Amino acid sequence: MTRALWGLLAIVAAITLALWSPPALALDRTFAGSVQVDEHIAPFQPSDTYGTQFFGGFTTELSGKIAADLSEHVSANVKICYGCHGFETDMAYVDLRVVDELNFRVGRFSPSFGAFNLRHDPANHKLADKPLPYDMGRMLRLRDWNMGVLPSPFPDNGVEIDGSHWFGDMMELDWAAYAISGFKGAESSLDLDFVQSRDGNLYYVDDNKTPAGGGRIAATFRLSPNTDLTFGGSGMYGTFDPENRFSYAIFGADAWLRAGRTNVRAEWLVRRQEFSDADPTQLKYTFAPGQNFFVKHGAYVEAETPIAPGVDALARVDGLWRIGDVAAASPLTNDTFVLRYTLGASIVLAQGVRLKLTPELWQFDYADASGRKLEASMHIAVAAAF
Amino acid sequence: MTRAHGVVALVAFAAIVGCAGAVSERRDGLDVSTLPADVQSDYAVFAQRCSKCHSLARPLESGINGDAFWRMYVEKMRRQPGSGISEADTVPILRFLHWYSVERPKAAAAAESAAAAVAADAGGSGG
Repeated sequence: MTRALWGLLAIVAAITLALWSPPALALDRTFAGSVQVDEHIAPFQPSDTYGTQFFGGFTTELSGKIAADLSEHVSANVKICYGCHGFETDMAYVDLRVVDELNFRVGRFSPSFGAFNLRHDPANHKLADKPLPYDMGRMLRLRDWNMGVLPSPFPDNGVEIDGSHWFGDMMELDWAAYAISGFKGAESSLDLDFVQSRDGNLYYVDDNKTPAGGGRIAATFRLSPNTDLTFGGSGMYGTFDPENRFSYAIFGADAWLRAGRTNVRAEWLVRRQEFSDADPTQLKYTFAPGQNFFVKHGAYVEAETPIAPGVDALARVDGLWRIGDVAAASPLTNDTFVLRYTLGASIVLAQGVRLKLTPELWQFDYADASGRKLEASMHIAVAAAF
Repeated sequence: MTRAHGVVALVAFAAIVGCAGAVSERRDGLDVSTLPADVQSDYAVFAQRCSKCHSLARPLESGINGDAFWRMYVEKMRRQPGSGISEADTVPILRFLHWYSVERPKAAAAAESAAAAVAADAGGSGG
């Protein structure tokens, strides 16, 4: 009760400060957006996997964002995206900033988790697709894996308290803590149901009245005028089913070295996922009581460097590793992995417009219906920011 | 997929990227050698800090030309988690944005007027 009271007082204080603060100066609204069209070619994939295990052909990601500064301490952001599953509200929130170290964010937003999500917009990352831990349907054999560890972006309704502080010019510390509706899934579900979690037809409301929560802390060190090193850690916990019986816990660690315009990024995510044990026939293996969970790891290491005035070269190794029981019909085993090797180039066609070439080699530890463990694919994308 | 397929694909990819690198004259941002000497160091800070999370085209092509707005916008960017933009960095960044969005267009307009005047004079004396 005391904590709730303090929380309420803090929010009232922030709103009061916002109402007292001077109005925004000058022009106070901005519009920005991006569009990416991506042709995904997987020449060795059987044709019956198109649209089920792999989205071939053109896909378009489009976003438009309006930001309005209502005062020196209050701003609002609305971002609408269009992608493989239609329109989605990626952002619709208000920031009530008391000081740099204390900001209240309320509305719909992707909570602070990991390093990649800040760059999830196609205009802000130079490969055509996302790292596997954050994959949202562009990977091969996507139904086998139910996508990555934490498909990005992951907008949700809730409240976040965040802030940052610089210690001189040498170190920046960022933190965030949040309560959100959380992911959803049916009582009998064997994994999170990402469709249900974002589908407006099933209502954008919580399915179990219990918020999920989490937080992030990150430190950025300035090693030299042009060299930054960031370390971060994130966590999220919640229940997904209407009866609050099954939980998910996600942890992440990330590091980012930026030297000049060269970036080396590494990130690891792991999700411990409980699932229903009510019907053992829907599972492939038997397990001891209390072992009704699986663990899904995802990681990537990525290097990016300019090789000519308008050309960046990229190399990435990423993968997923899943340990635990699977659905009876799944081709996965109870200890299975996929590794992907990516070379990429990002070429400036005009100011704000890039061509992205992203060939990928896939190594699965299980064969598909045609007996293949090795796959190849290529993304050819054009992305524009405006 | 065979190993030969992989090798061919890799060679083709390297050739495409190599050609692109060789012929590309476009760049994300500005050619620093074309900037006035007193602007170059400010641009360097802007280019380093502001390209961490997004392309430089975003600010450069935004059409914004008000110092007050830039001040507010750069503050907002500085507060982004992991931005790496310190308060001290905002000084050269804002100085560059002022030059880029206010001084540079003014100088370009003055140069255009002067050129037009010269052309008019030449036309008049030539008639």
